[in-house]
Amino acid sequence: MTDTPPIRARDRDAILQSLGAGVVPRRGHQHIQVGRHPEVKALLEDIERVADGGSSIRFVIGSYGSGKTFFLHLVAAIARERKLVTVSADLTPDRRLYSTSGHGRALYAELMRNLATRSKPEGGGLASVVEKFVGSALAEAREQGVEPPVVLHRRLESLSEMVGGYDFAHVVECYWRGHETGDEELKNNAVRWLRAEFATRTDARKALGVRTIIDDATVYDSLKLMGRFTRLAGYGGLLVELDELVNLYKMSSGRARSSNYEQILRILNDCLQGTAEGLGFVLGGTPEFLTDTRRGLFSYEALQSRLSENSFARDGLVDFSGPVLRLANLSLEDFFVLLRNLRHVQAGGDEEQYLLPDEGLKAFMDHCHQRIGEAYFRTPRNTIKSFVQLLAVLEQNPGTSWQELVGDLRLDEEPDPDFEPLPEDAEEGEGSGEAENGGGDDELASFRL
Amino acid sequence: MSSPPSGSEPAAGTGAIERLHPEVQRRLHRAGWTGLRDAQERAVTSILEGKRDVLIAAATAAGKTEAAFLPICSALLTRRDEAASAAGAAAGDGPAAAGLSVLYLAPLKALINDQFERLEELAGPLGLPVHRWHGDVDGGRKQKLLEAPSGMLLITPESLEAMFVLRGRQLRGLFADLRYVVVDELHAFLGTERGRQLQSLLHRLEFVLRRRPPRIGLSATLGDLGLAAAALRPGGGEAVEVIHSDQDGQELRLQLRGYRDGGDEAHVDAIAGHLFRKLRGSNHLVFSNSRREVELYADRLRERCERERVPNEFLPHHGSLAKPLREQVEQRLKRSSLPFTAVCTSTLEMGIDIGDVASIAQIGAPFSVAALRQRLGRSGRRDGRPVLRLAVAEPDPPGDRALDGLRPALFQSVAMLELLLEGWCEPPAAGELHLSTLVHQVLSVLAQHDGATAAQLWAVLGDGSPFAGVDQATLLQLLRAMGDQELVEQSEDGTLMPGAAGERLLGHYSFYSVFESVEEYQVVHAGRALGTMAGDDGLVAGQYVVYAGRRWKLLAVDAQARRVEVEPAAAGSAPRFEPSAGGEVHGRIRHRMRELYAGRDEPRYLDDVAAALLRDGRAQFAALGLADSSLVEDGRELHLLVWDSDRVANTLTALLVAEGLELSRRGFALSLRGLGADELLERLAALRQRGPVDAVALAEAVLNKQTAKYSWALSPPLLDRDYASSCLDGPGAEACLDRILAEGG
Repeated sequence: MTDTPPIRARDRDAILQSLGAGVVPRRGHQHIQVGRHPEVKALLEDIERVADGGSSIRFVIGSYGSGKTFFLHLVAAIARERKLVTVSADLTPDRRLYSTSGHGRALYAELMRNLATRSKPEGGGLASVVEKFVGSALAEAREQGVEPPVVLHRRLESLSEMVGGYDFAHVVECYWRGHETGDEELKNNAVRWLRAEFATRTDARKALGVRTIIDDATVYDSLKLMGRFTRLAGYGGLLVELDELVNLYKMSSGRARSSNYEQILRILNDCLQGTAEGLGFVLGGTPEFLTDTRRGLFSYEALQSRLSENSFARDGLVDFSGPVLRLANLSLEDFFVLLRNLRHVQAGGDEEQYLLPDEGLKAFMDHCHQRIGEAYFRTPRNTIKSFVQLLAVLEQNPGTSWQELVGDLRLDEEPDPDFEPLPEDAEEGEGSGEAENGGGDDELASFRL
Repeated sequence: MSSPPSGSEPAAGTGAIERLHPEVQRRLHRAGWTGLRDAQERAVTSILEGKRDVLIAAATAAGKTEAAFLPICSALLTRRDEAASAAGAAAGDGPAAAGLSVLYLAPLKALINDQFERLEELAGPLGLPVHRWHGDVDGGRKQKLLEAPSGMLLITPESLEAMFVLRGRQLRGLFADLRYVVVDELHAFLGTERGRQLQSLLHRLEFVLRRRPPRIGLSATLGDLGLAAAALRPGGGEAVEVIHSDQDGQELRLQLRGYRDGGDEAHVDAIAGHLFRKLRGSNHLVFSNSRREVELYADRLRERCERERVPNEFLPHHGSLAKPLREQVEQRLKRSSLPFTAVCTSTLEMGIDIGDVASIAQIGAPFSVAALRQRLGRSGRRDGRPVLRLAVAEPDPPGDRALDGLRPALFQSVAMLELLLEGWCEPPAAGELHLSTLVHQVLSVLAQHDGATAAQLWAVLGDGSPFAGVDQATLLQLLRAMGDQELVEQSEDGTLMPGAAGERLLGHYSFYSVFESVEEYQVVHAGRALGTMAGDDGLVAGQYVVYAGRRWKLLAVDAQARRVEVEPAAAGSAPRFEPSAGGEVHGRIRHRMRELYAGRDEPRYLDDVAAALLRDGRAQFAALGLADSSLVEDGRELHLLVWDSDRVANTLTALLVAEGLELSRRGFALSLRGLGADELLERLAALRQRGPVDAVALAEAVLNKQTAKYSWALSPPLLDRDYASSCLDGPGAEACLDRILAEGG
């Protein structure tokens, strides 16, 4: 604990703000990460391979609350330190790898919105990548004493030969032209096209003179293009992180599931065979998403044979060379360390500033145990959120006793607005909605078949 | 746009018409309208305001469609003008709204096609697009609508269900601009599984939109419009504005012909001959209560065509015909370019999607006024003059048993026609759980959202939903039962998702409908098939059924294989007493029958034979002293006349078999052996003393409880409750017992 690196104020604030809002922070992960050294090492090797122009794929598999999302963010931060560009998105029912009604394009657009680089870890970095590509081409032209278009076209040529690359290259060229002529609208349109924000070909044609757009059918091909493009712009490559793959597993239509799994198979084959260049994938999902043979990845035979784990690696033996990486759940001890780390971060690394003693951490854990049972440290999102909020109150109200606050903490789930009852108009709905859920909600919440 | 029939007077107090949008007024003027009709006049203000639910009840051809759509079009145009002026453009070329503005639901594709043409004529020139969406509309059109949704959508409940299942996430965008929901032929949905499905879909749509667009229900005139209003807005029927117009009623042409069944088939030839003469050359529907009769009459009519060397215009349609044959019939009915008459079973009318026929014929007593009314609605759409022909045959001579002379089929028919003419029809039964439809809706919600938790399902389908009788514990029980059937499965985080079996159901288009035709059962004795009977006859093991003129003891029912196992009962013949088959008869009809027996009037629509049969029946009724007793002893058996609904008769049957009595049932007559009237009354009195009738406990002993499409997915306790709620009537049985005890021997 004592030899941890100094904590920058920026990291501290990012960590506390994000966790306090129930989301994973985008920076400073190293300060709160607990354990998982071999797992991090395995991913580090993947990152190096991508930075060398290779490819990689990992399925990060862990139960709800095992810290997949946090782990993915950590990996992305490391990748950015190693000069990779990262894109990340959660899969949702509206964002899928494959679809015929725009959900594929929606996923791609979300990935591009979250495009992050070392200097832009918060996302929104696509324009700066394009800018950097153009800038470095101009610099190279100056160096070599040739006209900029010569260098530019030489670079773009390697894109054009890829699937869908012709229009991709054309759009980048449009950006360059906009850059040359000071045509901001053209530049904007080019970036919008690269973000898959054009919904129709007609619009794209009018704006940029290209015949195609990035749509449902070209999600993966466009990611491959983007991978090579980042290298052309001077980055090491592209790391694509897809989280919440359990949403593919939850899809009601068997046909939709298998067409999405087919895309995963394509990516898996490319990455294992090394045909993708400078491109890495990290996919986060639950064990059921992977191994359920009726609706999980293993329902797709070709995936099952490729992803079946090393049968020798069990009972404490591990193998981190396969594409599947299992995250064990946080133990009670891990959770305690995590709380200590948070306290440490909050104090800016200064033990003198700790807001509550170790016994306070224990009291907090006991309280959680009483309120939501022993699962509290296995689904840590809400628990950590309220811990960070507890710290915030203690900080802003000096002299408050932590003992009292811990006893009053509330831990609750956020409801899905789609299933919220309609607000009853006071005049109209007289007496129609006598909502009496007296005590029955627990049964609903804990319902198991 | 249909113009008002010539000579119709504009209703008093015009002024409503002036509140319509000027463009709508111009349309009306050009089409030669001089004023609005009663229902139209009265609907304008409320619908224009668009704040309240409105129920418009009027006769067919009274202009209900226009009553709803004239103000709706006006409101849409007004808003378009406002949007345009807000955008600074000239009135009239405002941008089309994003999303559909009107959702119109109707029970039949054919009706949608009719209304589509009618509404296009009305709204097309006003620049309001009209779309239809059902199984026969091609995919390209649907795709176009999805890309640029606007205007009015005409759709069946089943196709709306398909939207929830297949495009659950697009619904919000599609209906973002929804201003009105119109339900046509609301009466056709009352009290049915399909009606519950429709209510659930509308409720779910409001959930998606986070608001409640006003609902406008169009209905035939019904006895109790409060029930229709409650069906339009479950839980909020009192707030619905009811516009009941009894003006502009259509004229029903009606005849009931009686026939004497002398044991040979002379009456069949007579009925077939009459139908042949009256029906050939145009389009009709002939309903009969059994498949055997359907085949019989279709065959006689075909023979007749051959004999007269004219093309055959008569084809049978019922559930056990091969699908291609059925489809051929449905195609011919839809095309209606050549004269054609379908001879079909009543149980299948839901499946047949027919638009307009010249007349309806019914062979044998119908079983419900609602069904009769619905069939009539198919006839006379064009000229506003529906025609109904009824043919009822009674055995002659009646047979040697006391009940045989009562002519029950004739009396049931007359009772129904009287009630029909009075504007009554069966109210939706209160308190039905509709658990089969709940199973269906659970699957649909899971497909719509790609999984949901139990708490979320409760939010949508529990509290405040149309499934009013279902509490939380019941929903959870139902989910467990669905889990046992692999209809749902659960992920680690608690999300429920369609299971393997659920996915199979969802993947097939047959999922979208919740109704299923009642199947006939094969009657089997010692491995030998004896024939078929209606599935809802057999109730509890140990009960006796009368089949093919003999009494049989009921052993078992296999609902999956649709088989009834029987063994012959010792004593031979049974009464021929046979009121009706094929559906559930309401108590009010039986009450009316008893009044008719005691009365003296002879309705004008009876032919001579029917009138003579009516007098026969009354004479027998008087001879048996049935005006003030419900018990008849005829030497071999003691008959108890229930004079109440089939639910009550079901309940009493189950109750008395549980008492160990030897009982067989025909319609509303329960025939008992081995005891006299006094003894029966004693036992009934003792039974009554024991307290209220527990319908759920009685349901446990019922052999066949598969009453709806997904009954099979329910666990036994749920099935008992569902069955008790929809097929038994505890309080009704108590009242009936009290009446019988009060009458005494």
